Amino acid sequence: MKLPEPQVAVLNAASATEEQPIDRLAEETGLKPETATQAVFELRDDGLVDVTETESVEYELTEEGRAYVDAGLPEIRLYRAAVEAGAAEEPVQMGRVIGAAELDGPEVDIALANFGRKGYGEIDSGELAADGDADPESDPEAVALIALAGGEDPVDVDDEDLDQLVSRNLLERHERTVRSVTLTDAGVTALMEGVEAAETVDRLTPEMLTSGEWEDVEFTEYNVEADAPEVRGGKTHVLRQTAERVKDVLVGMGFQEMDGPHADADFWINDCLFMPQDHPARTHWDRFALDVPPIDDLPEDLVDRVESAHREGVGEDGDGYHSPWSEDFARAIALRGHTTSLSMRYLSGTQVGDLEPPQRFFSVEKVYRNDTLDATHLLEFFQIEGWVMAEDLSVRDLMGTFVEFYEQFGITDIQFKPHYNPYTEPSFELFGRHPTTGELIEIGNSGMFRDEVLEPLGVEHDVMAWGLALERLAMLTTGAEDIRDLHGTLADLDFLRGAEVTY
Amino acid sequence: MPVVDIDPDELRELTGHEEKGDEELKSDLFGLGLEYEGETEEGLLQFEFGPDRLDRLSVEGVARSLRYHYGDARGVAVPDTNDPDFTYVVDEDVPDERPYVTGAIVRGVDLDEAALDSLIQLQEKLHATMGRKRAKGAIGIHDLVAIKGDALTEEGDGNSITYTGIDPDGDTFVPLDSDRELTPAEVLEEHDTGRTYADLVAEYDRYPAIYDELGLFSFPPVINGRRTEVSTDSRDLLVELTGTDQWTIDRMCNIICYALSARGATIEEVEIEYGASSPEGERTLVRPDFDVETKSVTHDRIETMLGVEFTDDEVVDLFARSGLDAVVADAEDNVSTTYEVSIPPYRVDVLHPLDLIDDVGRAYGFDELEPRYPDVGTVGGRHERSRLEAATRNVLTGLGFEDLLNFHMTSEAEAYDRMHVEAGGDYLGGGDPVRITEPYSEDYEILRPWALPSLVMVLENNTHRAYPQDLAEVGLVAERDDDVNTRVRERRHVAGVLARHDATYEDAKARLQAVCRDFDVELETPPTEHPSFIDGRVAAVEIDGESAGVVGELHPKVLVEHDLELPVAAFEFDLAALGGE
Repeated sequence: MKLPEPQVAVLNAASATEEQPIDRLAEETGLKPETATQAVFELRDDGLVDVTETESVEYELTEEGRAYVDAGLPEIRLYRAAVEAGAAEEPVQMGRVIGAAELDGPEVDIALANFGRKGYGEIDSGELAADGDADPESDPEAVALIALAGGEDPVDVDDEDLDQLVSRNLLERHERTVRSVTLTDAGVTALMEGVEAAETVDRLTPEMLTSGEWEDVEFTEYNVEADAPEVRGGKTHVLRQTAERVKDVLVGMGFQEMDGPHADADFWINDCLFMPQDHPARTHWDRFALDVPPIDDLPEDLVDRVESAHREGVGEDGDGYHSPWSEDFARAIALRGHTTSLSMRYLSGTQVGDLEPPQRFFSVEKVYRNDTLDATHLLEFFQIEGWVMAEDLSVRDLMGTFVEFYEQFGITDIQFKPHYNPYTEPSFELFGRHPTTGELIEIGNSGMFRDEVLEPLGVEHDVMAWGLALERLAMLTTGAEDIRDLHGTLADLDFLRGAEVTY
Repeated sequence: MPVVDIDPDELRELTGHEEKGDEELKSDLFGLGLEYEGETEEGLLQFEFGPDRLDRLSVEGVARSLRYHYGDARGVAVPDTNDPDFTYVVDEDVPDERPYVTGAIVRGVDLDEAALDSLIQLQEKLHATMGRKRAKGAIGIHDLVAIKGDALTEEGDGNSITYTGIDPDGDTFVPLDSDRELTPAEVLEEHDTGRTYADLVAEYDRYPAIYDELGLFSFPPVINGRRTEVSTDSRDLLVELTGTDQWTIDRMCNIICYALSARGATIEEVEIEYGASSPEGERTLVRPDFDVETKSVTHDRIETMLGVEFTDDEVVDLFARSGLDAVVADAEDNVSTTYEVSIPPYRVDVLHPLDLIDDVGRAYGFDELEPRYPDVGTVGGRHERSRLEAATRNVLTGLGFEDLLNFHMTSEAEAYDRMHVEAGGDYLGGGDPVRITEPYSEDYEILRPWALPSLVMVLENNTHRAYPQDLAEVGLVAERDDDVNTRVRERRHVAGVLARHDATYEDAKARLQAVCRDFDVELETPPTEHPSFIDGRVAAVEIDGESAGVVGELHPKVLVEHDLELPVAAFEFDLAALGGE
C-alpha cells in the first residue's frame, strides 16, 4: 500500500492497544502538528485508525495571578500591614495601612473587597480593624495559587477555590479537546502487509510532463484557503468608468458624442445661450477668463443675430434684455463654464454642418467654475450635456428622456421642479432619490431651449437640453465622501486601487 | 437663488386665508416654485425660488400670487394713481455712468414693524438681484415729511427734488447710521456701508447726489441721509431709484409700489424731467409706469409645448391662476385660437410668449404631466477622439498602469520650475502658458502645458503608499498659440510614470513599444536632451517619423524636489500620433 509520507509515519507510530494523543504522535514522527492532524484524519477516513476525543481542562495563571505568587495577595498584604500597625488592638486609619502595605491603583479596591470577604477584619468610617485570630498563612486561595504556579495538578485543588481564582481573573480556564489515535484492525493488517511512502512533489515541471513521471507522483496538498500575495493590475479611473458607463447609456439611446474646445469665446459659452452680459454668472467671480487675445474668428451674421436677440428679443412679441451687450465681451476667451458651448457650436452648424431633425447629441466633458474648493466642489468637473432636436417636442418628451436615462442608474422616481434658466423655458431641476441612502438629491438641470437661443442659430425646430454633474453620480456610485480623493493630484492611490469597478 | 423670508401670519392676513396652516402654505408655495428652505431665528419661513419672479421678493408679492392661485383674485390689477405733484429734475451734472432716475410718491402708508421689515427686505433683495448689487439700479425710500421741495419748478405749482452729480468732497450730509456730517468721499472711507459699496462709484468723476430745498439728502447708490430716514411713524414716502437702465429701475419701482399698495397705500405719480444732456435728450416721463403690455400666444403652441390637450376655457383659467389676463382673440380661419395675454407691470420675466406657456404649465402643475419617450429614431455613436482616448486607456491599464485623472489647471511652479523646464524651451513641456486672468489661487493659475508634472505630483502625494507605482494619464494639455482661433492650442497627451526601486529607461521604453505595437505605429527613440531627464537616458519619441514626445529617466533633482526616494522612468507624447489623423 502506498500512502503519502506523513500518513506512513503516523501509521507506524500509532499503536493498536494504547491511545496516543496527536500531539505525541507529532512529536514522535517529527511532523508539524497540523500535518500530523491532517494525516490522522485522512487515515481515519480510510478506516486505518480510530480517533477518540476527550475533553480536558487546563488552568493557566494570568499575568496578575503570577504577580501575586511573588508579592502575595493584596488582601493578605493589607492584613499584615494592618496587624503591624496595631489594628488587631484598635482600629487604625485606613490610608496609613494602605500606604504601609504598598498597595496602589486597582490593588487597593481588590485588597479592601477581599479583606472583608475573607473575614480578616472590618472597615468602618475609614478605619480598619483586623481580626487577630485570622491565619493568612493558610489562606486557601493563596495556597492554591502558589500550588498551581508550582505545577501541581489542579485535581488536588478545591473546586471552589479554583472558581474564585478564575472569577478574580487570576487564573484562566482552558477547555480543550484531545484527540487520541489507535490503529484499527485494517490499520494493523495494512502495516503487516507493508506500507510505503508515495513520492510527493511540490511543483509540476515541464520534465515531468514530457517524461511521463507525473503518472507516478503524488502532489503535495496546498492550503488552498490561505491568502495569496497581493497582485495589482492597472485600472481605469473610477470617474472615467462612470463617464464610460454614461456614454454607453447615451449611445444606446441614440445620442452622438460632441467634441470641442475647453477654452472658448464667451460668445459660444454664454451669448449664444441668451445669457445677459451682466448676468451674475458672467462676472469675474464665477468665470475663468484667460489672459489671451480675443477669439480670431466668429461667424459675423450669427454675432449680429445673437446681439439682436439680446437687445430686441426675437419674434413679434419678443423683448430683449435691458442689459449692456458688447462684442468685445463676446469675443473674450474663457474656460467654458458648461459644455453647452459645444451644443451651441453644433446647433449653429459650424461644427459638423447644418443638422436636420431628428438629432440627439451628448458630451461628457470637463467644465470650469470658479468656486470654493471643498469636499463636494471642484474648480473643474465633468458635465453630462445632452440635447434632442425634433419637429415637435414637448415637456413630456423631456421628462420621458430623463426617466429612461436615470433608470439605467437605478434612479426610478425622478421629480421635476419648475426652475428658471435664461436659456430654457420651461426649465426644470431634476431630483432623484438615492437608491440606498434615500436622500433626495439634485441631479440635473434641463429645459426647452428658448426661441432667443434657437432662432439666431438658425434652428427652426424644438430642442430640449440638459446638463448634470458627473461627479455627483460617481460619488453616489463609489461612496466617495471627498470628491478630491477622486479627482486631481491629491488623489489617494489606495482609494483608486481599492475602488469598486463600475459596470 | 433668491430667498424670501415670510412671516406666515402676515401671509395669512394678506391672502385672507386665516385657516391655512404653515404646512399647507408651504405645499401651496412649492407648487408655485417656492421651495421651503428653513426658518430664520425670528421664526420667519424662508423660501428659495428662481430669479425670474422678482415680484415675489416680499410677502406682499407672494400673497398676491397665492390669491391668484387660489382663484381669489382674477385679472390684472393696476393700482389707482393720483396725478403728479412732485417733479424729479435731472440736471446736467448727473454722472454719465448713472444717468437714469425714476420713482413715486406713496401716501398713507401704515408701517408696523413687520411691514417696515418687509419693505426693507424687498429693497435689499431687489438690489441683490435686478439691481445687480446696486450697480444697475438702487432704491432710496425717504420720509416725505422731511423733504422740502416747495415750488422749485419753473411753473412754480409743485414740489421738486434734483438728481445731480457733485465733487466727491463737494458737499456734506449725515448718512444713515451715523451722527456726523460727511462728504460722499468720506462716506466711502469712513462709513461701513460706504466702504461696502465704494467700488460702485470708484471710477466716477462726480458722485450721484439728490437734493431738495434743504440740501443734499441722498448719495445713491451708496446710502441715504439720516434726515429722511423711514420709520414706523412715516405716513408718506418718497421713492427714488437711480441706475444705468430706465426700464430696469422702472420695474423695480413697480414692484415696490405694488407691495406698498397691497398694504393700502396710495400711489402718486411723479414727473421725471430729463435735460438735454441726458442720453435720450430732453424729455419728461410720468412714473411709475403701470402700462399693461400684451403678448399673444397660440393654443397650438401651448399644447405642443406641454404635450397636453386643453379647451380654451381651461387655458384662460390657467392664465388667470397665474395672475395673467387672457382674452381669446378672433381665430382667423379657425386655424388656432390665439390668446391676447395682459401682463401686469410688476412682471420682469416675460420676454417672449414662451414665458407665458411656462406660467400655464406651472398653473396646470408640471407634476401632472405623464412622461413619454420621444418617438424619434436617431443613431448614436462616440466621437472618434473619445474612442481613441478610451482605447489608449485600455492598453495602458492592460500594461498595469493605474489610470489617473488630474486637473487641467495648475501652477507655473509645478508645471515649470519644479520640473526644471522653462517656458519657451524647445522641448515637450516648454510651451507658453495659458494664464488665467486674476486667479484666486496660485495653485490654479495656468492650464498645464504638459501632463508629466501632474503625475509626478501624484507620486509626491503618495510616497506612503505601496510601490511599484505605475501611473498613466490620457488628458488635456494646452499652450498659448495666437495662430489658433481661440489662442489656445489644446492637445491630448499620453503620459506615464514607473516609480519602482529598479526603474530604468528600458522599463518606460518597453511599455511605450507595447503601446505603439498595439496601435500599429512605428516608434523610434533618437537621443535628445530634456532638462527634466538624465542626460544620456532620454530620447525623443518619434512615431511614424513625426516627433511626438519624450521618454527617459527623470533627473534626480526632479525626484528630490518631489521628495521621491526611488528612480522614476517616464514618457509623454501626443495622443494624435496614435490615431490615423
